[in-house]
Amino acid sequence: MATTTAQLVITSTDLLSDTLSLSAIATLTNSGSATGVTQTTGLSRTKTESNSQYTLYHGEVASFPFASQDQAAKIYIKNLSTTAAEFITIHINSEELGRLYAGDWAFIPWSVAADTSDIKITPSVTSALTIEHMVFFES
Amino acid sequence: MATTTATITLSSADIQSDVLALTKQATLNKGGTTTGLEQTTGLNKIIYVSTANVLLLDSTVLGVGKAAKVYIANKSTDASEYLDIQIHDQNVGRLYAGDWMFIPWSQSDPDGNIRVKPSVATALPVEYMMIHEGATQTAAA
Repeated sequence: MATTTAQLVITSTDLLSDTLSLSAIATLTNSGSATGVTQTTGLSRTKTESNSQYTLYHGEVASFPFASQDQAAKIYIKNLSTTAAEFITIHINSEELGRLYAGDWAFIPWSVAADTSDIKITPSVTSALTIEHMVFFES
Repeated sequence: MATTTATITLSSADIQSDVLALTKQATLNKGGTTTGLEQTTGLNKIIYVSTANVLLLDSTVLGVGKAAKVYIANKSTDASEYLDIQIHDQNVGRLYAGDWMFIPWSQSDPDGNIRVKPSVATALPVEYMMIHEGATQTAAA
């Protein structure tokens, strides 16, 4: 098995009157076990030049060799733009999750359930906008 | 304004033949600006003792379409215990023991609530926090 970790650190000295310094580390494992996930799409980079909606990951067995929401998967997405006004809107199926503005990233658990769980992105601009993305998933 | 950063580090020496060592930092700003987010729920901790689907964050009380980031962590140490995450009626994914998520949240409509459903009715601890642009309160509710 592989050992893959994801660490989050959130810090601020002035958001609250008490310093914020939150750290969380997850070891990415198969569902309900201590066995590490062994598959990944690898780190990918996609450049868009349209504000149409793109399907980034299809939630179907042909794309990912597991078939139900019971299996573990995590998605990393980052908007590499450096222009503050540029964002991508993330949808799961038809439900809007949120906007990643320039420099923002997200780390999302993903329940795969055919095409009702497709991960879609809609850029805010028709000029070049680059994102990086990656999926870790269960054997 | 406040300055708040969120840093992710993804590491693995053996998930692929190239070592994975990715670190990225984001400064959490208001939508389309370089002005930092100034409001937060603070870090909440809840211990769930039911498998009911329950409301975690209500999209009707804050700014629809404004910038918000949500952190949720399943603090259980039992590998079989998980937490299903939903937005409106859409399943997002499962947080297994020790897992965390960090997502943008558009609060795109009044039905866009974030809900959670624990897998067990025994004590399952969950931590969560939202850092957001929100709505400025101008009058007593």
